[in-house]
Amino acid sequence: MKNIIKFVLFFFTIATFAQNDSTKVYKKRVLESTEVDFLMSYYEQNGDNASVTGGIGTEELTDLSPTIVVSIPLNEDDILTVDFGISAYTSASSSNLNPFDKSGASVESGAKGTPWLAASGASASDIWYGLNTAYSHSSDDRNFIWEAHASYATEYDYTSIGFGGSTAKLFNQKNTELNIGFQVYLDNWIPEYPTELDSYLEAGEDLNNGYFNGVSILNQDGFEIDKSGNSGPIWNPENFDFINDKSRNTYSVSVSLSQIVSKNAQGVLFFDLVQQKGWLSNPIQRVYFKDKENFYIGNSESIPIYTSRENTDVFHLADDIEKLPDTRHKIPIGLRFNYFINEFLTVRTYYRYYYDDWGVYSHTANVEVPIKISDKFTLYPSFRYYTQTAADYFAPYNENISTDNYYTSDYDLSKFNANQYGFGVSYTDIFTKANVWKFGIKNVDLRFHQYDRSNGLSAWIVSGAIKFVMQ
Amino acid sequence: MKKAFLLIVVIFTFSSCVVVKEYEKVNINDPDMKLTNYGIDRFNTNALLYREATSGGNGGKTSGGCGCN
Repeated sequence: MKNIIKFVLFFFTIATFAQNDSTKVYKKRVLESTEVDFLMSYYEQNGDNASVTGGIGTEELTDLSPTIVVSIPLNEDDILTVDFGISAYTSASSSNLNPFDKSGASVESGAKGTPWLAASGASASDIWYGLNTAYSHSSDDRNFIWEAHASYATEYDYTSIGFGGSTAKLFNQKNTELNIGFQVYLDNWIPEYPTELDSYLEAGEDLNNGYFNGVSILNQDGFEIDKSGNSGPIWNPENFDFINDKSRNTYSVSVSLSQIVSKNAQGVLFFDLVQQKGWLSNPIQRVYFKDKENFYIGNSESIPIYTSRENTDVFHLADDIEKLPDTRHKIPIGLRFNYFINEFLTVRTYYRYYYDDWGVYSHTANVEVPIKISDKFTLYPSFRYYTQTAADYFAPYNENISTDNYYTSDYDLSKFNANQYGFGVSYTDIFTKANVWKFGIKNVDLRFHQYDRSNGLSAWIVSGAIKFVMQ
Repeated sequence: MKKAFLLIVVIFTFSSCVVVKEYEKVNINDPDMKLTNYGIDRFNTNALLYREATSGGNGGKTSGGCGCN
């Protein structure tokens, strides 16, 4: 909270200086009056490849994200924008950080868990909070714009401090614009680990101690093992250790060049250079090795059907958490091209090629066709196609190798393609006739997107927004 | 990268031969002609940031700020 107050004070201080610097020559204001945007989205997904449970298990997730954005014109040239949002989610896969329910594995009635049902533990839901503050200044001739911003975000296992800036230069009678920006995120994990791994180290690697005391561990054949190790192999996640470097920093530079091509067409070419350093894996994501024996807690009869949704009462003990390199370099490059066909129809196109040094290549293509059905209403049908290759370190459930340096079963890093269909409607009243107190309603937007991945994940999102203008 | 370079050349070629005057920009200034995402698309873009291995190249967030990408 202190950080948030510091950010706000910092930007209001800058704003005060900017107001003193304003010129008395008449200029059209960059922003005529204060605007307030209320936005909200609701998201749902489901799939069978949860990364928290090692690439197998339910991916059920819901997310509600109310957001408010306030843009304040400080004078003719300067705008202060404050953007605050929360994201309240429930996640079946995150809940399985501890799949043995909130009473833990050592319950008298026998521990049960499954990757296919949500557990009732603390990690089943959480709220992400984010604040972003931006300040922009336009030159008198509006041919030069600079912008600076800072952000703070937090959730139960992650904090982020970000800052950045950009400059835009318009030339060729404002037909061409060159924009250069940078962004830094100084993030930190507050690591949470899968319960069995965390407890294993806390119990001094003794399966008859602490969390594991009194709990039966089963082998692949469903037989209870001798946890002392005197009569056969025991579960021993020897690769696992707690994280030392909890930082996760991101540095990026973005360049774009836009150009008006004709009275009805314009496009932009852009690329980013991104470097990430630190703990780039997610410590809640389990990994299982195919060169290690499997051990379970729960009902032995369900072991043969472990990977099916019928398994409701047995859980595979993890071999490790995912491990990924501590650096990553990303280069997305692409273009947009928009064409104004007539007063009813516009075509918006987008293409991006992406490359990184983890072996992921991707193509993204998007087309949207706004259709003005009246002077106030516009429809927004859209389609997006996406394809990516797998990261070098990805393998499905129970297919990773323990001697590799890096491994993951996160299906977001697997090979897949995806289709997304979208539809939206927008209401615009440039005269803001409808009022709420001192504010007039300028825009009302509604969007729906359906997303289907080739590996079975399916999601939909509905978003709404109302823009008010101070009168 | 060669393709990207060619695109830059094409855009600069266009820029050198076409200048649209301010009073001719009625269609270009239409809100649907903006060369950025709509504000309301931020949620969808964020969801894709979580569900795909890639990020950036949309004039907005490139990476960081979450444990997602």
